[in-house]
Amino acid sequence: MPPKERVEAEQVLQAVVLADSFDQRFQPITLETARCLLPLCNMPLISYTFEFLAVAGVEEIFVFCCSHADKVKEFVKEYRKESSITIHTIVSPESMSVGDAMRELDAKQLIRTDFILVTGDVVSNMKLDKVLEEHRARRAVDKNAIMTMVLKKASSKHRSRSVGDGSIFVLDQKTKECLHYQPVKAFSSTREDRRLQMSMEVFEKHPEIQIRNDLIDCQIDVCSVEVPALFTENFDYQDIRSDFVHGILTSDLLGKTIHFQEVNDVYAARVRSTQMYDAISKDIISRWTFPMVPDSNLGTSGDRYECRRGLVYKEKSVVLSRTCVVEEKVVIGANTQVAESSVLSNCVIGKNCKIGANVKIDNAYIWDNVTIKDNTQMTQCIIASNAVIEENVKIGKGSMISFNVIIGANSIIPPFTRITALPEEDEDELESDEALVGPTGRGRAFTEAEDSDDEDDETDPRNKLVNKLAYDLEQIKLAAQEQESASEFESEASDVEEDEFDPVEDLNREVAQTLDRAFNENHDVDIAALELNTLRMASNSNFHEMRLRIIPGVLRHIDHAARPGAGKTVKEVLTRWGPLIGKMIHDEQDQVDGLFILQSCCAVQLEDGHKVFGPSLRYFYDEDILEEDAILGWYHSSRSRDGGPAELRLREIAAPLIAFLEAPDSDDEDEDDDDDSEEEEDE
Amino acid sequence: MSSKNVVDDLVAKLKRRQLVGSSAVAQETLKLMIVVISKAPLSTVNQLIDLVKSVGQKLVAANPTEPAVGNIVRRVLHVIREEYRDAENNTNKQGELTAPPSLTTSSSMYNLLGDPTSQQAVYGRYSHALRNNIIQEVKDIRIELETIYDNIKNQASLHIHSNEIIMTIGKSKTVEEFLKMAASKRKFQVLVAETAPSYQGQEMALELSKAGIETTVIPDSAVFAVMSRVNKVILGTHAVLANGGLVAITGTHMMAAAAKHHSTPVVVCTGLYKLSPLYPYDDDSFTVNINPDAVLGFEEGDLIEKVTVANPYYDYVSPDFVNLFITNQGGHPPSYLYRLIVENYHPDDHSL
Repeated sequence: MPPKERVEAEQVLQAVVLADSFDQRFQPITLETARCLLPLCNMPLISYTFEFLAVAGVEEIFVFCCSHADKVKEFVKEYRKESSITIHTIVSPESMSVGDAMRELDAKQLIRTDFILVTGDVVSNMKLDKVLEEHRARRAVDKNAIMTMVLKKASSKHRSRSVGDGSIFVLDQKTKECLHYQPVKAFSSTREDRRLQMSMEVFEKHPEIQIRNDLIDCQIDVCSVEVPALFTENFDYQDIRSDFVHGILTSDLLGKTIHFQEVNDVYAARVRSTQMYDAISKDIISRWTFPMVPDSNLGTSGDRYECRRGLVYKEKSVVLSRTCVVEEKVVIGANTQVAESSVLSNCVIGKNCKIGANVKIDNAYIWDNVTIKDNTQMTQCIIASNAVIEENVKIGKGSMISFNVIIGANSIIPPFTRITALPEEDEDELESDEALVGPTGRGRAFTEAEDSDDEDDETDPRNKLVNKLAYDLEQIKLAAQEQESASEFESEASDVEEDEFDPVEDLNREVAQTLDRAFNENHDVDIAALELNTLRMASNSNFHEMRLRIIPGVLRHIDHAARPGAGKTVKEVLTRWGPLIGKMIHDEQDQVDGLFILQSCCAVQLEDGHKVFGPSLRYFYDEDILEEDAILGWYHSSRSRDGGPAELRLREIAAPLIAFLEAPDSDDEDEDDDDDSEEEEDE
Repeated sequence: MSSKNVVDDLVAKLKRRQLVGSSAVAQETLKLMIVVISKAPLSTVNQLIDLVKSVGQKLVAANPTEPAVGNIVRRVLHVIREEYRDAENNTNKQGELTAPPSLTTSSSMYNLLGDPTSQQAVYGRYSHALRNNIIQEVKDIRIELETIYDNIKNQASLHIHSNEIIMTIGKSKTVEEFLKMAASKRKFQVLVAETAPSYQGQEMALELSKAGIETTVIPDSAVFAVMSRVNKVILGTHAVLANGGLVAITGTHMMAAAAKHHSTPVVVCTGLYKLSPLYPYDDDSFTVNINPDAVLGFEEGDLIEKVTVANPYYDYVSPDFVNLFITNQGGHPPSYLYRLIVENYHPDDHSL
């Protein structure tokens, strides 16, 4: 033990491993075992995580299991025998998300100091001491620095980047603070998905920021004790990133900060999907994860792998026939036999497998105790333990064959098939699908339940598809994307329209609603004006836009059939709500504009518009909302003369008023009388 | 901590590559051996040998590319056998001398031609005094390990002369001490190959220049070009194999080959604990491919799917490239190594 730890003996470094992924990307295989127990290069996934934590100097690990907890517990029990670390298992079958797990953790009060939070599928050769050191130093200065995320730089098309789980980080390199977080989906069809919204304060506080999408987020976090408590406080947080980090950073009240540590020359990735399983397997075989490579024999199962030229890893007990060809990047587990003329390349083969003659295996992941008989071909697939593949079978790319399945002779498994030997949920016995697995086979095609709870927020079904499809290699991804790209463009085009259209529609609706409310609840004009002004500012529009909506809105309220007293006659509406229009009109230009709107509105939008036009005009004139110059300006402008007969007729209606206005020095009282009589006429 | 825990701890450290470098590994192994021997409540020496062997197997399996682990275990086994024999001889002096003096058996012609099965020695009584003697001897090995640098560097003035140009590669503590010692008496120039991709040569050059040695860093590609001006190549090594071959940092083979072409003498500085009785049946067996990140950055993305990147850490250098070994016991030509192996390891222990 290094002396440093002896000094701070009371500070045992703790880690929390979430042994559940809370999603269903590995089904049907994960129906039968936990995700973190799946073998990755013939070693259970969670051992990589344990190793990583052991290197980091963790002395106490809490493993949080939900599904298949008994299996995880059993594994941990075995592992504990060989390891000097104290490992506890916490079983909580009802936890459905990271948030639930953290709340459970808070309730149990097991965490005493800063801890490392990882998922049970992290593969990394990182040494965390520097991250821990910096985190502690920051905590010493500022108690609000609650979390440090570890991020790894990688280019956009990197195979170790999960296609569906990208993220955008807004970072301040100087203070190592993360300022904003937003998840990125592979296909972002809605407008919200495609935008990044952040508070302007970020720019005020930080002179220099980086907005980055080139970071692999492997969800290795150094958390302080407050983190589980914060999850309890905010009981709706589910995901550690999109809810917790986003929530903390956007909340003004909490005042907590989240920091990051960017790492470059180390490896870190998470087996999030089948596509990532493939990529990380290849990284391990290519030794990017050194020293976490098969020939380090880190596992507790007593493996003795040796690395040969061409990155071939095999145990001493492997029996290769004389004519079989083991090409590059192959891992072969103990006691496996390969018969004559078989060709293996880029694949992982588990323990005690029997591979027949003339078999071609490329890019496949074959787990323990699998029997593959002669002349079988397979590419890019996962075959779980104890499966049997009989003679002359062809397995298409992207297939997943679960535990104990038997594929009968001469079957052809189409690409992307998932086969399980578990009976359907509502049945007791397995009904084999003979068309798929042949008469001697055992297994049925597996289709996922349509609405999986975890991903219901994903509006675009393609996002799910990406993770499912993508355990296959580049070509498939390409093909899938090409296929998608056509529809992608379409949706893009429609989105553009939406972008222009949407705010207009929005404003229309909002204004109409505000006016309705004002009419029905008999608001004060000032209040209505205030609301409308707020709307105007919110939608970033101008008074012209508002007039365009409010004038017809008010005039529409007039009911010609209504009896006086109901508040709906021309006069009553105008006296009651006219000032509202007045609030939208300020200078002479506005007045002219208002007149044009009034004209076109009365001419086109309203029935019996001509009956409204005259009185309105007069009312506005009387109330000094429209001034003489403006009315004259309108009347004499060429635009008022354009338009259909309805518009011209309205102009005629205005003629007496114009004549009156143009008459020199008329008496005020006269004018009033005159107006009144005209109004009565119109009615 | 029980001795099992201590063993597991070291095994884990070796596996995780938390403990690297032959010197550190050797010292840790020896410490562990002392713990194992002093805590084992055994009645016969045979049991002790079996125990040490089983621990040794575990340690060697944990990281087969660190031969120093196996070497130390073999040295300890050798000490146990010798001590037992001495003790037996002492007791037998009073009675009859039954057992032949086995110290010389392994090197005698009789042994090479005779029936090896008849040689299976029986190791009986494990007395308290014997245990103390063994522990004392093992502690002597520890002292030897600690004084290795002194013993080697004291020979420096014999090998480095004034105004010579010395070339070296990689960062070796032994070579560093050796050169510094020589620099205290003589004035000479050192060329250090930068040793891509680990660039340990640059660190080495820094250390040497701090000590006031006139040092030049050259790219690895320039080694052949400047070799004609070099008087002597002084190398460090990770391990020395039974045939005199070296397992040394990548680039050493190239430098040794260039030296041979120009008939420049190649001198290897090494502690005896690095001398392994194993033979290199296969060029790859002692090397280790590490993370290729330094050769091709992982963030290259697209490219790394399409290429296989190898980053071997060690080279195998065949014995005919080496002219002289300088160990803590003096200078030896490669042809003499078999003798050192016989003196330090028992033939029964070559394969643990």
